[in-house]
Amino acid sequence: MGAPAIEFSDVTKTYQRRFAGPRVPALLEISFQVARGEICAFLGPNGAGKTTSMSILMGFICADRGCSRIFGYVPGDVRAKELVGFLPENLAFYRYLDAEALLEFHLRLSGRRVASPRELIAKLLAKVRLDGYESLKVGKYSRGMVQRLGIAQALIGDPELLVLDEPTSGLDPAGRKEVRDLILALKAEGKTIFLSSHILSEVEQICDRVIIINRGRLVRTGALQELLAEGNRVEIVVNQLPQGLEQAVMEQGASVNRDGDRVRIICEISGKRALAEMLWAGDCDVVSLTPMKSSLEEMFLKLVGEGRVE
Amino acid sequence: MKVRTIALNTFGSFLHNRVIFVTCLLFACNFLLGVFSVLKFKSMTTTSNAQQMQDLMLDDIGKVLFLLSGLGSLLAAWAAAGSVGSEMESGTILAVMARPLRRWHFLAGKYLGVLMLIAVYVVGMLGVTLLLTWLGGQLLHAPWWVLLVYPFVRYAVWAAISMFLVTLLNPAVVVGVVAVLLSLIQFLVSASALSGIPSWFRLPVHVVLPLTTVVLSEDRFLTMTRESLRRYPWAYHVTALAYGMDYALVCFLLAVAAFQHRSLLHD
Repeated sequence: MGAPAIEFSDVTKTYQRRFAGPRVPALLEISFQVARGEICAFLGPNGAGKTTSMSILMGFICADRGCSRIFGYVPGDVRAKELVGFLPENLAFYRYLDAEALLEFHLRLSGRRVASPRELIAKLLAKVRLDGYESLKVGKYSRGMVQRLGIAQALIGDPELLVLDEPTSGLDPAGRKEVRDLILALKAEGKTIFLSSHILSEVEQICDRVIIINRGRLVRTGALQELLAEGNRVEIVVNQLPQGLEQAVMEQGASVNRDGDRVRIICEISGKRALAEMLWAGDCDVVSLTPMKSSLEEMFLKLVGEGRVE
Repeated sequence: MKVRTIALNTFGSFLHNRVIFVTCLLFACNFLLGVFSVLKFKSMTTTSNAQQMQDLMLDDIGKVLFLLSGLGSLLAAWAAAGSVGSEMESGTILAVMARPLRRWHFLAGKYLGVLMLIAVYVVGMLGVTLLLTWLGGQLLHAPWWVLLVYPFVRYAVWAAISMFLVTLLNPAVVVGVVAVLLSLIQFLVSASALSGIPSWFRLPVHVVLPLTTVVLSEDRFLTMTRESLRRYPWAYHVTALAYGMDYALVCFLLAVAAFQHRSLLHD
């Protein structure tokens, strides 16, 4: 199987203004791994340390302590960079180049040899819906178009790993959907994708695993489905619920929703047994009892709000 | 291949930069100043004052070339500092350095791009020198290669110094530092200043600022005669140019060392 796509081990990074000023910790002993072939989301509120982590990973800055690896190579190693496509958060390109010239420039730097570079570039531009804008200078592009061009640029070297910092930033809903589909298609090709995003509903749709950091500390990591299944509420559906019993149920801290013939009762997982026994004792016909999944957003807000550290 | 790609892109970026247009404008103004001066002295020349007018004309052409030389040094410093500094400020460096590229590849590409710009400037300056001397009916004794290689090496040294400084300082500060250094050198090379400097201090100054005496300046090209050139054998030229190139190389290596572990993120 080989080395994991990404490996962070006890990585610590502190920022300090030149010569003086307070030391601001950006990352504190962060450790995680991203396996090959998965889509992993790197989540955290603003200033949590996501971009710092990605910058360390790409070799733009050095960690104070700990080690990080890309496919077993140290960040900044040419062999590692040959396998990576990167989309920075605040993307900037040479404004005087057109899309074709820019991608040709990056293709040359990537060292990838192709029979027909122009054909490849045309294909990539079509993939990100920029066909027809090949000869327009990048300086005249809109924010969304620059973002699309950035994705094309990240793909030009046919990388094994894509590191995408806010890939859907600046895109309209249709554009975001296209990027989601593109990421899923890349995963189907066996690529590894490591992305950061604030749009959690999107992350929930495409990611296999999530890593959540807050204030430079690792808060949670794990398979998305497992994390979402850790909801702390249960839904009990009954056929009918007498008024007297409804009052007693609500006194237990549960909520009651009448939905046609059915009544849906939502309670804390810790109180489910007592509530179910109360319903059975009250001659209620219990149709189902299902643990409720929480949304990624709920889980994220809870973890980040708690400031919990794993 | 990758270094060449960066060099060509760097050179291309200069052609789209407004500072280059301003430089071209200043260059043209200087040239026109020289043309007017030459024509003025030519019209004032009579058989009785021919030698005096010729001396005044050479003096004026020398001043024009002196200004162009200063402009060239500043251009080299700005180009080197700006080519690296602007990439870091705008963030374009991130997409470039994410490519399978070593940091010294990036700096070498930038430096080569700057040298290409310098080469164009030096050729332009040679054109100005030849035109002005031709218009003034003067004879240039210095061979062409001297007119090309000496300024090129000096600008290469300034570019390397700037490239080193920009790994530590803001590009605007770097150009300021270079301007101060240039003024300092001009002060030091003036005979009056040198005579006032004690000998124990003169040598270290020459070593630290080799441009003061070793690398020939443009304004001195005009005063060269066949006799004065004969005093300098090949060995002198080789030593002088090698010293200049060595100075540039040391500064470039310092830049590589300073750039190796610095943050590529805009502070």
